[in-house]
Amino acid sequence: MKDYSKELKITEVYKEYKDAHPAIKEAMCLKAEYPAYFTPLQDGDLFAGRLQQGRVGFTIDEWGPTAFAYYCQFEEIENDLKTYDYPAEEKVKIEEMLKFWETEDTSNKIRKEYPPLMAQYLFSDDWMNTSGIAFPLYRLTGSTPNFKKLLDIGIPGIYKEIEELKATAEEDRRDVKFYEGMKIAIDVLADVCLYYEKEIRLLAEISTIDEKKEELNKIADTLHIITISKPRTLREAIQLFWIYTYAADIRNYGRMDIYMGDFLVNDLNAGIIDEDEALKYLKSLWQLMADRNTVVHNRVIIGGKSRPNEANADRFALLAMEATRTVKEIEPQLSLRFYEGMNPALFEKALDVIGGGATYPILYNDDININSINNAFGFSIKEAERYFTPYGCGEFILEGRSFGTPSGVINLLKALEVTLRNGVDPVTGKVIGLQLGNFEDFHSFDDLMNAYKKQVEFFVSLLAEQEVLEYKICGEEAPFLYNSLLYDDCMAKGKGMFAGGIKYLGGTLETYGNTNTADSLTAIKELIYERKLISKKELLDVLDNNFAGYENIQLKLANAPKYGNNNEIADSMLERVHNHVCNFVRNQAERVGLHSYLVVIINNSANTLMGRSTHASADGRKAFEHMNNGNAPSGGNDKEGVTAMLNSIVKPSTAIHAGSVQNMKFSPELFFERRDIIKSLLKTYFDKGGSQAMITVLNRGDLENALVEPEKYRNLFVRVGGFSARFVELSTEVQKDILSRTLY
Amino acid sequence: MNDSGIIVDIQRFSIHDGPGIRTTVFLKGCPLNCKWCHNPEAIAYKPQLSFNQEKCLNCFACLSVCPTSTHYIKDNKHEINFSLCQLSGDCVPACPNEALSITGKINSVEQVIELILKDKDFYINSGGGVTISGGEPMTQFQFTKQILKACKDNSIHTTLDTCGHAPSEKYLEILPLVDLFLYDYKESDYDKHKEYTGVYNDLIQKNFNMLYGASAKIILRCPIVPGINDTDRHFEAICDLYKEYPKLVGIEIMPYHNIGLDKARKIGAEEKFISIDTTDKEKSRKWISTLHELGCTNIRLG
Ligand code: SF4
Ligand code: SF4
Repeated sequence: MKDYSKELKITEVYKEYKDAHPAIKEAMCLKAEYPAYFTPLQDGDLFAGRLQQGRVGFTIDEWGPTAFAYYCQFEEIENDLKTYDYPAEEKVKIEEMLKFWETEDTSNKIRKEYPPLMAQYLFSDDWMNTSGIAFPLYRLTGSTPNFKKLLDIGIPGIYKEIEELKATAEEDRRDVKFYEGMKIAIDVLADVCLYYEKEIRLLAEISTIDEKKEELNKIADTLHIITISKPRTLREAIQLFWIYTYAADIRNYGRMDIYMGDFLVNDLNAGIIDEDEALKYLKSLWQLMADRNTVVHNRVIIGGKSRPNEANADRFALLAMEATRTVKEIEPQLSLRFYEGMNPALFEKALDVIGGGATYPILYNDDININSINNAFGFSIKEAERYFTPYGCGEFILEGRSFGTPSGVINLLKALEVTLRNGVDPVTGKVIGLQLGNFEDFHSFDDLMNAYKKQVEFFVSLLAEQEVLEYKICGEEAPFLYNSLLYDDCMAKGKGMFAGGIKYLGGTLETYGNTNTADSLTAIKELIYERKLISKKELLDVLDNNFAGYENIQLKLANAPKYGNNNEIADSMLERVHNHVCNFVRNQAERVGLHSYLVVIINNSANTLMGRSTHASADGRKAFEHMNNGNAPSGGNDKEGVTAMLNSIVKPSTAIHAGSVQNMKFSPELFFERRDIIKSLLKTYFDKGGSQAMITVLNRGDLENALVEPEKYRNLFVRVGGFSARFVELSTEVQKDILSRTLY
Repeated sequence: MNDSGIIVDIQRFSIHDGPGIRTTVFLKGCPLNCKWCHNPEAIAYKPQLSFNQEKCLNCFACLSVCPTSTHYIKDNKHEINFSLCQLSGDCVPACPNEALSITGKINSVEQVIELILKDKDFYINSGGGVTISGGEPMTQFQFTKQILKACKDNSIHTTLDTCGHAPSEKYLEILPLVDLFLYDYKESDYDKHKEYTGVYNDLIQKNFNMLYGASAKIILRCPIVPGINDTDRHFEAICDLYKEYPKLVGIEIMPYHNIGLDKARKIGAEEKFISIDTTDKEKSRKWISTLHELGCTNIRLG
């Protein structure tokens, strides 16, 4: 039976400070949450910091589809009430708590503020199970503050900074309460360290093994030191970093080789530790990250331009890759930035690690990305060089400076199918989109294309406005103290990051079904408008019947040119779809008042989940089957081989969006026996403008066997777009999707 | 000047027919008739109807569109008489399940080059290029020569995969355009060569000597077929060559695979070929070690 005492306590504190200054309210809630939600050290941990989040609480990220900021997991709590027999008195308390959060939960507050049009067309928050064109997401994800500052000055330094800023706040007309809240929050952070120190000393006392006793005391010493001094060693740096990320609920870790590299090399030079010991630290940290089990987060980036002490950073980067190679977990999602002229040992090591069965590091091409970011976001080249890519999707952000949570999803293929039917969703029969005329009325292909664009634009506009609304309410709700602490220019301004403090507040929007949409449009253009082989009515009949009885037409549709084959007709249609949505989205920023608003073309399991409510499409895809993944050709359609595929996927511009993901899978035969070929493939791809590559080495036989004998393939990891997963744990649908994507 | 030719297929990202990443152009037409042919659809000089029995739904849509009696019904099943086909192509789009196709397409040199150039960056970065294979590319000599010439004009590395059975002067003519030959060495015994391939090997040996003498770069390719030429005698002959021709770039062993049989079936020609199991890995490894023991070291599986 789940114990609700902590949740009830937090609710009490929240009630008490409900009308207090947001910074004080947040600080007091943090104090109620921590260290209460932290859990004990586990065997083998070299660093303290594990956490069991409650059903009620505060986070910058999310603890469920709509559980973010001040959140309450309504469904889970209701389930508990149904499942367990709580004593009557406690039950009443829990029910009262539920009722209280009904109006206080941040997501609920946001939804309540939707203007009528937004409420009508963004009618559901359940994008996974509802048929619709566009959905809002409730979260503030991808936060990546300035870790370097944290480690440079430590808790005492931060404390001092707060004191100084507070002292002059009144006269500079900055918000004194903001700093007061900040001070409480830092005290909480120190309290967490001291709480762990005490617990661990107790463990050390009762331990009978000398070595273990010693190790535990070292951990406790470290925890103590970081409350009174800035970190001086790698061990202290990691410990402070780790406690902080958990308390702040930061799930992505920025450019770790920059902020850890110097600690590592100083320790090594001073003889404090050797490489083996350092690797042990990293492995323990990696394991702690893995156990956090975030599914899509836990990004660590190494390599790339503008690392102040490159040699030290390289040394850390090599060690990080070794940790990934040996820990063999799904997370962290180690990523390597590289550029022409970087120490080649890093890229070489990366290929070894990928070849060892990890899908990491994910590769990021600085020579393309920095210019793309410069163009898409308008950041200067110097600033763009600081980019980081949090979570699975990898939207570019600047560490400690910019923010761009994806707060909306749009299913482009659904937009097209609704447009073909005058606003009606073929899955539900309801009008869910703009009614722009019947397919018959679109006399030219351009008529259809224009209607499709209008449909998409309408929903994009709503999503852009929704993102701003989300930020606005979050800004009113809380200053997000731990994050604002290390985000320019919150401290200097005395403002929370969403209340005008952050330097660059942007937003992103996830698009799905891009390739299926483009390929459908190509088929319609070719077969209906140009060659007139199929009539419009016929096409709708065929699609409504999911091709049953029309196999001949399905074949014609399937044989129409497809993106991914280096075919001009199909590739240029994809570019058309891509340019339209990317540019339209990008142009929203100014209208709604964001620093940037950009598309991300990611791949995760959303293409499968949203495919489930999308009917048959004109590219030959059957109803409810998965849609294409990210920017990739739709399953199995890249028939011309890997060079043709790579030639196609470098075509859509990378300079007008916030990031895209490219999955590539290679058979072990190719990867191991022909490393030269792999290297030249990648080199050519990156030379031609490839931005990113996520490489999986496996073979089809592996996967087919895994379907039959799952127990033998537990250690088979595959990338499902933005994250890695144990193949055997995926649904058959997703497994089949992976199988259908071509292996080279 | 012939500026078009008949092509079976163009394979991009080809990594087994010469160095690096390549585009391999398979031409139609071959003067030999090897019993173990891996590309039987590339033997005839003209396009052919191809029928995939496994995909046939017995819907008989092909019957009504065909101007001949190529397709017919027997016991309620679709049957085919390849010899009657006039290659009108009408049945191909009529088939709802892609059971029918025409093997062999007329392509112009420009079309081929356009495709080849798409992957030029990959060739440069990998040390790859273009391979002309078949069939026997020398049978479409002008076409082959023009493709090779265009490749050279674009600074693309060229490889010619040849059986060696073509007029010697043609080889001399093409030699300046070829960076590397993949030269077949099928059977060392004179009579057996005739028995298994349909031709004697004197011309092939003559051409080989001539090209070798002219300092052509050559990789010798030896198809090894279990029960046919996996004999000690043949392996010894390969090793003798290895010693006699020290400037060979290498020797590749090509273990038999029965994929050709399936393709032969589709064009109604299966009775012309032997039917044995695909060589297992163990066996081909053993061949390699036998050759190593015989002193032949620069050798690998192709
Ligand atoms: S290609 Fe023409 S002649 Fe040959 S079988 Fe088909 S329809 Fe008949
Ligand atoms: S049309 Fe195709 S499927 Fe139908 S009988 Fe002919 S070959 Fe078979």
